[in-house]
Amino acid sequence: MTFVAASPTTTRPRASATQWVAARLGGLVVVLWAAATLTFFALRLIPGDPAEALLGGPGSQASEEALDTARREFGLDQPLLIQYLSQLGRYITLDFGTSYSLKQPVTSVIGEQIGGTLVLAALALALAWALALGVAVWSAQSGRVAAALGSALEVVAVALPHFWLASSLVLLFSTTLGWLPPLSGRSPAGLILPVVTLAIPLAGFLGQVMRESLLNAMSSPFVLSARTRGETSAGVIWRHALRHAALPAIGLSGWAFGNLVSGAVVVETIFARPGLGRTLLTAVQARDVPLVTGIVLVVALAYSVVTTLTDVLDRAADPRLRTEVQA
Amino acid sequence: MLLHARHTLALAILGVSALTLTACAPAETSGGSASPIDGGTLTYASGDAEPTCLDPHVGGNYPQALVATQYLESLVSLDDSGTPIPWLAESWTEAEDGLSWEFTLRDDVEFTDGTPLNSAAVAANIAHVQDPATGSSTGYLAVGKVTSVDEVSDTVVRLNLSSPDSALLESLSQTWVAIQSPTALERGDEVNCESPVGTGPFVVTAWDRQNSITLDRNENYNSAPADAEGDGPYLDQIVWRFVPDSATRYAALASGEVDVIDNAQPDTLVAAAKDDALDELDAPRPGASNRLELNSGKAPFDDIRVREAFARSAAVNDGIESLFFGTADRSYSALSSVEALGISDEDLFTFDADKANELLDDAGWTERDANGIRTKNGETLSLAFPVSTNQSIPAEQSLFEQIQATTKEVGFDVELEPMDLSSWYAALAADDYDLVSAPYTKVGPDVLRILYHSDGITPAPSGYFANHAKSNLPELDELLTQASQVTDVAERTQLYADAQQIVLDGYYIVPLFDQQNHYLFRSDVKGLRALPTVYTPTFAEAWLDR
Repeated sequence: MTFVAASPTTTRPRASATQWVAARLGGLVVVLWAAATLTFFALRLIPGDPAEALLGGPGSQASEEALDTARREFGLDQPLLIQYLSQLGRYITLDFGTSYSLKQPVTSVIGEQIGGTLVLAALALALAWALALGVAVWSAQSGRVAAALGSALEVVAVALPHFWLASSLVLLFSTTLGWLPPLSGRSPAGLILPVVTLAIPLAGFLGQVMRESLLNAMSSPFVLSARTRGETSAGVIWRHALRHAALPAIGLSGWAFGNLVSGAVVVETIFARPGLGRTLLTAVQARDVPLVTGIVLVVALAYSVVTTLTDVLDRAADPRLRTEVQA
Repeated sequence: MLLHARHTLALAILGVSALTLTACAPAETSGGSASPIDGGTLTYASGDAEPTCLDPHVGGNYPQALVATQYLESLVSLDDSGTPIPWLAESWTEAEDGLSWEFTLRDDVEFTDGTPLNSAAVAANIAHVQDPATGSSTGYLAVGKVTSVDEVSDTVVRLNLSSPDSALLESLSQTWVAIQSPTALERGDEVNCESPVGTGPFVVTAWDRQNSITLDRNENYNSAPADAEGDGPYLDQIVWRFVPDSATRYAALASGEVDVIDNAQPDTLVAAAKDDALDELDAPRPGASNRLELNSGKAPFDDIRVREAFARSAAVNDGIESLFFGTADRSYSALSSVEALGISDEDLFTFDADKANELLDDAGWTERDANGIRTKNGETLSLAFPVSTNQSIPAEQSLFEQIQATTKEVGFDVELEPMDLSSWYAALAADDYDLVSAPYTKVGPDVLRILYHSDGITPAPSGYFANHAKSNLPELDELLTQASQVTDVAERTQLYADAQQIVLDGYYIVPLFDQQNHYLFRSDVKGLRALPTVYTPTFAEAWLDR
């Protein structure tokens, strides 16, 4: 949520640690509430009867009796507002209900599938960082042509749609070269193509931001002074400038995580990989309200946690943010 | 080498191969074992949705039938000509009045949990399918006329019917009414959905959701249908995976990571025909052909002239040729080509733009607007066409676009609306369509009664109805009802022929092609065949020549 301003001249007044934590928690509650509310009403506005989802999915030939029983059992006969409020009430008591289509508790479905998506997203984020850093440092060190080339690579990478990239990687590494399996499943080797698919566009994005601030940092006075102290250019980059370059990218990693989870829907489907993204897709198609809401809440929670972490990291990387100025 | 249910299609594909295979020698497998080899693990990659329940009594769709064919069996099966043959029941007799059937069960069969197959087991299964709490829709229709079940003896079971049912054996052959262990059913649907227990060649041993189902060999298997050859099962294990993306599925097959794939699309079929390591199994689904159903319940398709004009101006053949690359044949029938009682009438559907224009002029659609769309009393000749992206493959959706383009020439404005399954059913329930393509799989010609009897116009409580063409003709109703009760083969054949002629002559539908059901497999997979009931592949006799 919080975009950390990239400009090195910004000084924001900072609240005390307790206030900071309280504001964070408050923000988290608002995010979760908004996510639950939007999902609830969005799923009710699109065509499709949740009672049918309970009884064999769309086109179900369930009897009126069976539909009525299902509606009563799940409170679908109540006015929409009552349903909404009672659903919120259940969420407050951490009761996420039972999936309509899978007939399993939502928490256990998510528990089963979340690991795969988190591993995928974490590895993709790490690889994207490595790629972006590599290109940024290389192009910052190697002059104008390299900078232009790096910039071009990043623009292309950002523009690559996941589905196209995934299919191209399968065609190259599985079909033509035979090096990697096209199906991901639960094998470690199967993780490589999905991770690369997710990492490349993200690396392009992070790289653009990093290279720009790295170049800015390289032309700052402190770099000149470091050089006059006899630092090599590699030393300047690794010990001084990189910290500056990393700052905006750290801030963006929260956003990036959200991007990875939505990318997981496509990637998990193409590489036939178990995970939350694929579960979400089928749950939406089945109008499985409890499961969709559960997944959306978990993703919103993860997103908030990652954003908070990036703020903490920001403070660690940027001493200016640690100076407490009482407002 | 092509394994084919339909010879015409084999020729079509060979034709494509001949055109494209200039450098390759004929795909004759050299060496290899002639007698089946025991053991090995086969990996199957399904493009269908992962079932939410592995017990096909619950709900009842094709993805469930595909996997359940490997572990569940039915009372009867069908041979290649559609004639019922013994399976779990070794014989049966229909009462004189047609109001009851007695089935004699095999006395040497056990479910894989040790429960014996007997009349009580059959009674428990019918009860399970008919229990509203089970939520069966396909199986429920199949045993719709069964009013009660008598256990005459341990091995003889009698089904009492509300009216004679000539389709009973065909209905019972379907996987959606397969016989499961009554002991396992008693565990409740939640458990039974994860580990249904049958008499089939394989046993469900694990289900890793979103990833795979593991099926292990049933070591005590002894209940193959009467037409089975060999002494399977030979495979130790089947790993049943879910791979929604068509290109990934084909890549996995080509690289040998999987051995069999379903839902092979036209482009991959053409690619596979050039690959010596791959073979094809073409198994059109039974029941209805894929067809456009024209909503005769409201304007403009309430006028037969407009319906015929549409059928005559849709250049279906050109579209199929260019989009399916010879992997699908044009159908001129309401029924699948595997249905023995299907009739075709090609002349009704030959492309004729002049005739279409004449018919529309006759019907009063004489004016044209600025876009060339015909109008009548200020109304434009627009047709709402909701398309289910879950049910229509990409090639079929492209075909619809071509039909849209060619019918525009004579002044139709077809509005294609791609939508997901729930929205699509909602559009049909709201009567927001003038034409629609809805696949319907069922064994036997009785599917005609479901699709074209006027009873099918009345929606189920969920809003679902099957008669999308809204054909409402007392004469047709009469024929279909009669046909569903007559077991005399000649008479039944004639009644269904007459009924189909009425449907075709009335231009209630525009037949397109069979419901496509293509499988590709590695050439070293032997003994694979489609069961001639719902045409799901069975691995009961399959083995690996490697």
